[in-house]
Amino acid sequence: MRKKAALVLAAAMVVGMTAGCSGGGSTGKAAVNNADTAAENAGGAADTPAEEVSYEVTEPITITWWHALEEQYSDTVTEIVNDFNSSQDLITVEAEYVGSYSDVNEALVAAHAAGNGLPAITVANTPYVAEYGAGGLTEDLTPYIEASGYDIEDFGDGMVAAAQYDGKQVSLPFLISTQILFYNKDMVDAEGITLPSTWDEMDAFMEAATVKAADGSTERYATIIPGWDQWYFETFYLNQGVNIINEDQVTTDLDGETAVAIAGKLKEWCDNGYTYWTGTADDASSNMRSNFISGKALSVVHTTSLYNTYVDQCDFEIGMAWLPGGETKNQEIGGCVLLIPSKNDQATKNAAWQFMQYLCSKDVNMKWAEGTGYMPTRKSVLETEEGQAFLEQKPAFQAIFDNLDLINPRIQHSAWSQLSNIWKNAMAEMILENGDVQESMEQMSLEINDILSDS
Amino acid sequence: MKEKRMNPRKVSAVKDFICVVPVLIFLAIFTYYPIAELFRISFTDWNLLKDTWQYVGFKNWQWLFNGSGTRYLWNSLRVTVLYSIGELTVTIVGGMIFALIFNRMNKAFSAMRAIVFMPKYVAMSSAAVVFLWILNTDTGILNYLLSLVGISAVDWLGDRNTALISVLMLTGWRCIGYGMMVYLSAMMGISADYYEAASLDGASSFQKFVSITLPMLSPTTLFLFVTTFISSMKVFQSVDILTQGGPYRSTEVFVYNIYRYAMVDFRMDRAATVAIFFFVLLLLVTVATMKISNGRITYDS
Repeated sequence: MRKKAALVLAAAMVVGMTAGCSGGGSTGKAAVNNADTAAENAGGAADTPAEEVSYEVTEPITITWWHALEEQYSDTVTEIVNDFNSSQDLITVEAEYVGSYSDVNEALVAAHAAGNGLPAITVANTPYVAEYGAGGLTEDLTPYIEASGYDIEDFGDGMVAAAQYDGKQVSLPFLISTQILFYNKDMVDAEGITLPSTWDEMDAFMEAATVKAADGSTERYATIIPGWDQWYFETFYLNQGVNIINEDQVTTDLDGETAVAIAGKLKEWCDNGYTYWTGTADDASSNMRSNFISGKALSVVHTTSLYNTYVDQCDFEIGMAWLPGGETKNQEIGGCVLLIPSKNDQATKNAAWQFMQYLCSKDVNMKWAEGTGYMPTRKSVLETEEGQAFLEQKPAFQAIFDNLDLINPRIQHSAWSQLSNIWKNAMAEMILENGDVQESMEQMSLEINDILSDS
Repeated sequence: MKEKRMNPRKVSAVKDFICVVPVLIFLAIFTYYPIAELFRISFTDWNLLKDTWQYVGFKNWQWLFNGSGTRYLWNSLRVTVLYSIGELTVTIVGGMIFALIFNRMNKAFSAMRAIVFMPKYVAMSSAAVVFLWILNTDTGILNYLLSLVGISAVDWLGDRNTALISVLMLTGWRCIGYGMMVYLSAMMGISADYYEAASLDGASSFQKFVSITLPMLSPTTLFLFVTTFISSMKVFQSVDILTQGGPYRSTEVFVYNIYRYAMVDFRMDRAATVAIFFFVLLLLVTVATMKISNGRITYDS
């Protein structure tokens, strides 16, 4: 109750300032300095498996599932939830679309601070795992996994790691994707264009694949790299040895020579008209898609999860290519995990755990994999004949199956979402407003160092 | 034996005070206590993501005045002042001009006045959404109208040079009628005797405006200036819906800046620090405005 009051007051602080009443508003009462809760959240359960906690669902219960699956996925969502509800008598799941991943993040953190209004189970974009784990927002699933003998070994190793914080299984991999270069296979084959496999080959590719009109304006971009989420361009830095967060955990290498050179290249290609920077506006993604679909771009960097969407909308054949690498050719896990907020009561958590097992099961996972571009998460699919059958349906996924070991968990840091905001905004401002590359990257790094050391 | 009688004046003062107490309690709980709390939070490291917090001394203040927060503090101060100047100009100059135009007391003008004043009744959030459509780069009516006279499409909300102007368009549309109404009612209050006397002395209408109307309206102008200035410093809704502070923080006014720290970064400590600074600033500005303008106002007495 006190915490609820705290959040209301905190909101009053902002609302008071904004609603136009005089005096400058109020404040929030800080979350009570509650060391007990923190200790409990920090994994008391994991350390004391002997304690008599039942993970069984014994009474009828209705639980809420928050997700971020837009319109195009709604049929699948309804089907899966209905299947689960009719498969047993006790648990009724209500699915609720909350918005984008960052909307889910904001709603979840606010509900956690308030201590009520929490969903029984929710999706979370992979980079938030560390933040939530560090903040004690997530339930440690280890005792649940042990109690129900759940086979977690069958998930791909990188996926399991991406769902952990500090060695604890605080979530399970749900809808997993990775970055990929979608290309217009018809054009590439017809023009004999060689796709770049390393960053050094990018210059030649960008020039060769761009089509310019007589007046110098661009008729077809070689590629488009999204700027609304740093996830899409961060591997270019990582694979050339840039430490986005240094080993000391409090500084960044993004103002180093290599990083500045990469940012300079990205800007140069935009300035030359080989590509354009999408910026961070809401319509940036749909603009990029329509450029690709209409043939105004030969290729785009995007998430594999949109494979089916592209196939449906394009009247040409879609190819998928691994992103150009540097010293390494690593990529990162995207998509979302499932987690159970720690402040729920045990009965809700138990019901959520049942539903989570179902959502992450092989059958449900394959439904997503076949109907969308999310990846199969199970070794028993990836490494067996089932995987081969899947590839026959979706041959473009060969690029991913060839490189499964190179898909890594995300960088984990409790200030990651702040860092990524600063980074993508700085890139947009530098490229679109023609800023000085060196200066922009230095200023940006100052800010990033500040939030890293103060998180 | 002591007389229990009290000075009747004192009795009445106590009575008066008792009547005010409920309001004072209300204010204490919902205004003064939260402000004190805000001050306290600014010395903590309260992050909404974490269950615990500690006192960290002046760390947040250092961050604000001599750290990575400084740049954005000055940026939002600059944006807020620019916005305030815009809103003040529209409300005072625009309102005065409209008041002069619509200062005819017949049915037609009364209807037109109602139309000009109407936007003030429209909820800001709905108005802002409509302006999102009007200002849309590809499908907005404003760019369509501009295209008819041969001006190429402007990315009103996406260009840092026009974003603040776009927000001000919405403000102007909403506020000009309010300024007009306030001035009109004040103009009604100016005694016709002054104008008659001036006419007898052969003053032109412009002279009458400068020497009679303008000075007689100065209390109204002060009132409008102070109220509009303070409310414009606290603008939020229109910015939130139209631009979310962007592009590149070019419309990030003070309150939006606070909102961003609190609700996007979840840094309540930083939000509290900026909010306290803003509170003190607003207080100083208000006091200063009142002080300076005292004695420079012509009251009709």
